[in-house]
Amino acid sequence: MLDKIAAILRRDLLIATRYRAALFIASAGGVLEIAGLYYLSKAIGPGFRPEGMNSYPFLLVGTGFYTFLLMGISCFVSSIQEAQQAGTLEVLMTSSTNPATLVLLSAISSFGGKGLTFLLYLAAGLLISGAHFGHPSFLPFCCVLGLSLAIAIAIGMGTAAMQLTVRKGSAIVWLLGSAVWLLAGAMFPVSALPPWLQTVARFIPMTHSLTAMRLALFTGGFTMPLLRELSVLAGFAILLLPVSLVFFSAALRRARLHGTLCYS
Amino acid sequence: MDAIVLDSVTKVFQRHPGVWPRLRQEVGTQTLALGNVSLCIASGTVQVLLGPNGSGKTTLLKLISTMLLPDSGTLAIHGFDTQRQGAAVRGLVGFAVANERSFFPRLSASENLDFFGALDNIPRRQRADRIREILDTTGLLKHSDKPVMTFSSGMYQRLAMARALLKNPSVILLDEPSRSLDPGSAARLWHLVRQISYRGATVIVATHSFQEALAVGDNVAVLARGTLAGRCGVETALSSDDLRRFYFDAIGEIDDELHLSIPTHDSESALAG
Repeated sequence: MLDKIAAILRRDLLIATRYRAALFIASAGGVLEIAGLYYLSKAIGPGFRPEGMNSYPFLLVGTGFYTFLLMGISCFVSSIQEAQQAGTLEVLMTSSTNPATLVLLSAISSFGGKGLTFLLYLAAGLLISGAHFGHPSFLPFCCVLGLSLAIAIAIGMGTAAMQLTVRKGSAIVWLLGSAVWLLAGAMFPVSALPPWLQTVARFIPMTHSLTAMRLALFTGGFTMPLLRELSVLAGFAILLLPVSLVFFSAALRRARLHGTLCYS
Repeated sequence: MDAIVLDSVTKVFQRHPGVWPRLRQEVGTQTLALGNVSLCIASGTVQVLLGPNGSGKTTLLKLISTMLLPDSGTLAIHGFDTQRQGAAVRGLVGFAVANERSFFPRLSASENLDFFGALDNIPRRQRADRIREILDTTGLLKHSDKPVMTFSSGMYQRLAMARALLKNPSVILLDEPSRSLDPGSAARLWHLVRQISYRGATVIVATHSFQEALAVGDNVAVLARGTLAGRCGVETALSSDDLRRFYFDAIGEIDDELHLSIPTHDSESALAG
């Protein structure tokens, strides 16, 4: 298994370094986004303290972690979509590696890259602004990250299955991204939403991921609110992971029956 | 012993209309790719599939590789059912697909093979030597470090062959393997196919070339409109012409080459005059 992870990481790293223009554009985009958030929080002023936090770190963690999770989810769709278009999917699905494992490993590789980007994004944001987190704790941070990753993987497998079934996985990710951006509290606290939308937001796992990540970085330690969020995240992960695996296997079987593994 | 057993295999491709066409009561279309095909292929032999375009040759290869699943009937590879034991089948089968784009274009030939080799459980320590050996066998060793996006069609074809052989499969599927090859490369490929077969692997070659069928095959099966139209041993077809006659009899079509003369400069001038 380690050998396969290494092979996939090596492939992705080689491809990333050989598309240098894309790498540069992505880096430049990240820096511009950080600067945009910084000036946005300056314009809003120090009076705006969402959930009792400084607005800039609130925005930085919200948008950074939201982008990390969403981009990770979209990696599942794009890896299937690109392979369908390129014609590699049929070949990959006839290798000796279990297809679900293969998609999972490809996504882990993508998540690795996105995770690194997220950390650089946080570090650069703090460096530029001179702001700091309250009491960041490593272990709670890892717990939130791990559970949020498990949920993102489950949703990603679901969207990959949709891509195999109806070939519209990217549209679903776009819809999901827009809804989550509005409801999950990436840019403003969920409490700013009308009560009925707050109820809807509670059923979105990302709402709990963002809240938990802010708690882990700002309050430090396993506080009661953080433990409550972690238990909700664990519940989502336990529910979604097996469902998404079954859904993906069914979608793959359907694609093999209908001959839709590739676009040709 | 039979390596591959197809029992009444049927494959139909259905095209469902989208949501809006369905609301307008449009109906989908059905294409019979394979209908009730039964075929046994002995271990260590080279089975050639001949047939016109759309006769079901590639579909048959895809069914054996588990890229596709049959709608009815059963298909077993060394006793493993492709529907219920797909993982075991995938470990045994190497498929050189005709699609030239099935590689990562920015990676070199050896980097591509290294990636696919890892997925096929070839241990890392053995992989480099195995890739070198297989690239040498397929005549690509001196191009091993070039990005595959710079490859010609023939080189892609050979690289696909290399990928199929990498895991040392006991069943090898070749879809029009000499389609883009020059005569010298095609002859080397045919020699390689025979060598693989002598080592005990079962090879299925889908082709349009009678010359190729005679050069590599032990048995020939002719497919027409998704059905098995005829079978013969290569020893019964003494020449390319014999095989050609057998083929056109099997598919029930007239051999146009016997009736159509290729226009020459003189005949064109006579017509113009």
